[in-house]
Amino acid sequence: MNDILLQLGKNPQARRLVKTLGLPLPIPQALARAKGPMEARPLHDYEIAVGGYAGPGESALIDVLAKTLTQAGATPLVVGDAHIPPAFLAHGDAWGRPPRGLLLDALPDKLRLDAMVFDATQITDTAGLRSLYEFFHPLVRSLRKCGRVVLLARPPGSARSPEVAGAQAAIEGFCRSLGKELGKTGTTVNVLFVEEAAEALIPGPLRFLLSKRSAFISGQPLHVSARALDDEGLAAFEPAFVRSLEGKVALVTGAARGIGKATAKLLADEGAHVVCLDRPADDELLSAVALEIGGTPLLADVSDPEAPALIAKTLREDHGGVDIVVHNAGITRDKTLARMSPEHWDQVFSINLQAIVRINDALIGDDGPLLDDGRVIVLSSIAGIAGNLGQTNYAATKAGVIGYVRRLADELEGRGVTVNAIAPGFIETRLTAAIPVMIREVGRRLSSLGQGGMPRDIGDAITFLATPASQGLTGNVLRVCGQSFVGS
Amino acid sequence: MPVSKQDQTKQRAVIVSGVRTPFVKAFAEFLPLDTIALGDAAVSALLKRTELPRRELDSIVWGGVILPSAAPNVGREIALDLGLPPSVEAMTCTRACASGLQAITLAVAAIERGEADVVIAGGSDSTSNAELKVPQKLVRALGPMMMGPNKGKATPRDMLGVLSQLMPITEILPRIPKIAERTTGELMGESAEKMAVRNEISRQAQDEFAARSHHRAAEAIASGRFRDEVAPVETPSGKWVHQDTIVRGDTSVEKLAKLRPVFNKNGSLTAGNSSPLTDGASAVLIMSEEKAKALGYTPLARFASWSYVGCDPADQLLMGPALAMPQALARAGYELSDMDLVDMHEAFAAQVLSVLSMLASDNFAKARLGRDKAVGEVDPAILNVHGGSVALGHPFGATGARMVTTVANELHLTGKAFALLGLCAAGGLGAAAVLENAEL
Repeated sequence: MNDILLQLGKNPQARRLVKTLGLPLPIPQALARAKGPMEARPLHDYEIAVGGYAGPGESALIDVLAKTLTQAGATPLVVGDAHIPPAFLAHGDAWGRPPRGLLLDALPDKLRLDAMVFDATQITDTAGLRSLYEFFHPLVRSLRKCGRVVLLARPPGSARSPEVAGAQAAIEGFCRSLGKELGKTGTTVNVLFVEEAAEALIPGPLRFLLSKRSAFISGQPLHVSARALDDEGLAAFEPAFVRSLEGKVALVTGAARGIGKATAKLLADEGAHVVCLDRPADDELLSAVALEIGGTPLLADVSDPEAPALIAKTLREDHGGVDIVVHNAGITRDKTLARMSPEHWDQVFSINLQAIVRINDALIGDDGPLLDDGRVIVLSSIAGIAGNLGQTNYAATKAGVIGYVRRLADELEGRGVTVNAIAPGFIETRLTAAIPVMIREVGRRLSSLGQGGMPRDIGDAITFLATPASQGLTGNVLRVCGQSFVGS
Repeated sequence: MPVSKQDQTKQRAVIVSGVRTPFVKAFAEFLPLDTIALGDAAVSALLKRTELPRRELDSIVWGGVILPSAAPNVGREIALDLGLPPSVEAMTCTRACASGLQAITLAVAAIERGEADVVIAGGSDSTSNAELKVPQKLVRALGPMMMGPNKGKATPRDMLGVLSQLMPITEILPRIPKIAERTTGELMGESAEKMAVRNEISRQAQDEFAARSHHRAAEAIASGRFRDEVAPVETPSGKWVHQDTIVRGDTSVEKLAKLRPVFNKNGSLTAGNSSPLTDGASAVLIMSEEKAKALGYTPLARFASWSYVGCDPADQLLMGPALAMPQALARAGYELSDMDLVDMHEAFAAQVLSVLSMLASDNFAKARLGRDKAVGEVDPAILNVHGGSVALGHPFGATGARMVTTVANELHLTGKAFALLGLCAAGGLGAAAVLENAEL
């Protein structure tokens, strides 16, 4: 669990020594993580460079962008020649965050940026992509450690012409490469692909990606759409950001330890009542977690054929339904295929995939306890995307989860329920602590951020996907992997 | 929901009179007078000037911020010091800089619920007599040995143990008190400095505001407008203080512009455009309308509404009035344009100007107040017509009662109908009230 290089990096003298001696040690930047529950102003006193408004044409995103940044406590530094868009003046006035203009050829001396946001939705031809260079090139050195970069683009799939699609798709490649360049400073770079008419759903994901709660997410595209919201709901969409899960019931499987435990705590921090599920053998650990967060323990083996009915009945009768379902329970039984026993193959499938399908069927069915506007979040893995030696069984289940989640999102969007998968990379848990040291070290370092994530990083992502503000995200596979080089 | 049987308004409360001590810079003439002594001075002057029969007084409601730890119920101490009938009960409340207004609205509520007919409400503070605090570490180390279950049985080994807990010595020296926000650790001036930047309030605008405050206060003193409101106080050394000592009628924007920023080297807040630490007390006589008539007093004003709000101290600490003033107006059923007078506590010129810009902003109204249009612009001609805390000073608990007294008198003297009060307070609190001329 102990990352020596990270410890070394936290010591300024050691850091300097490694640098002067020119040792080939890739010392990672200790990541700044959030403390406590979600805040009203996660970007308090941030200075954020905003680009994409130099050219002609009015982006449909200006208003929501200006409102999101200023309401979240940030001062926008709008890059452009002459005029600051009126939306920044108006929202800046409302929230006491007057925008400042930033002239790229006359930057202030001590410019320090907490984040950069670039609205690329106005780029309609390949020549227009030069504006990426023009915005980022002079500013990128002014970004603080553990900074944030978010690009906003339109999904290439629904572009008007092939050229527009090409221009918008280029953003993703840019984002992934910049993520790799800036990762050693703890900075993350992500892109939001925003469907037409889904602008009102930007605030939640944008706040999340700019905040400290997305410390281990980099190089990722997220698709924002209004699929899981009807016209009426879209017009009135004004989600709460603080204590937004009050009155909600959440089910977390595998809650006794690791990622499940961290997630249960974070959900409880936002006000949810958490039903913590784990195997009867983990009674002691699970009860301690449930007691600590004021939740309810539920002992069941998810692979037991009786479990789905029991879970559905408990949620319906004792809790009046369930709003948030987190399928976190999972196991590995690693062996190369030639040496793998049938039991190991079956165990992994039974817990990692079949149980999820069966439990969801029981929760979603006609008198199932899943409530409208609910959330289903399933743990996948980068192994499911990239594959892994000795994990034919595990990787198959985790890839299966991705296909399952994308399709289930279609089924449930009419009820306002969003369905997403989280694909963790190397996370410091009991599972990864058991990996042989050399392989573990490779797993840790082969990512832009050069370190393993914490269970809390996955918990933060799950908790965000559980909040009302994430209504625009469904059918997404969010990788929380520090931009692992595997499978990207 | 069950309600108490006192929930109905039984009678209207009216403000009959108000008197305050001169407001004096801290650590000067009033150094020998603690907050209770200052309160004694204000209340005794009020009783003398109004010739109120002592037996008519039901209670004293007092406000204060720096309360003496040995006798925190300052109101009761005043009643006892002045030899009032023992039946005159008393309480003391605190709501930071809005404590004085809080005391008055508590008194008004009590009268209107029929709990009392005649109440003296007000507040006092002596920054000069703020108690130096012994660090809690010292208390926790010595306390068990001296007061705990085994007191008097300490062995030399115990004493050595206690001594070792007290090192290093710098951690147990008494601390000089300062006006810092407990949760953020920020000095109030630092918070106001940030507000000046965020609301784009220039140094020039602040100095102009401060100069006007001084000029208006000086004019009020020179014209005798404050003669009925301010009672001279004799200090223990026999020296008389007749009037406010902080007001500078001869100041000017040019003079104020020469002062150096105090909270931030590159900032815009100076000693000249901030309210200074001040000692003083202020008291108001409130009674039911009938009682006032029966005793032959002229009602000056009555409360149409009041409002107290909270906002995040880590955001804009002193913006509370921008939320409270619209709420008080709405509760009274008025608009800002109906107001003939506006009186705002001037913690800092920058803070008042920030609140004014919020009230005048359509964007602020839409985002923060759920209104389509701005609350409105406040005409400088009706704002703080006789100066404010920047010029007069700000003995925390006394300011609310000073404002109520001045505004009630102003309504009565000019025959104007409505006035709006606004105060900001530590902890991200805001307070506001609407006063009506009692004769209209």
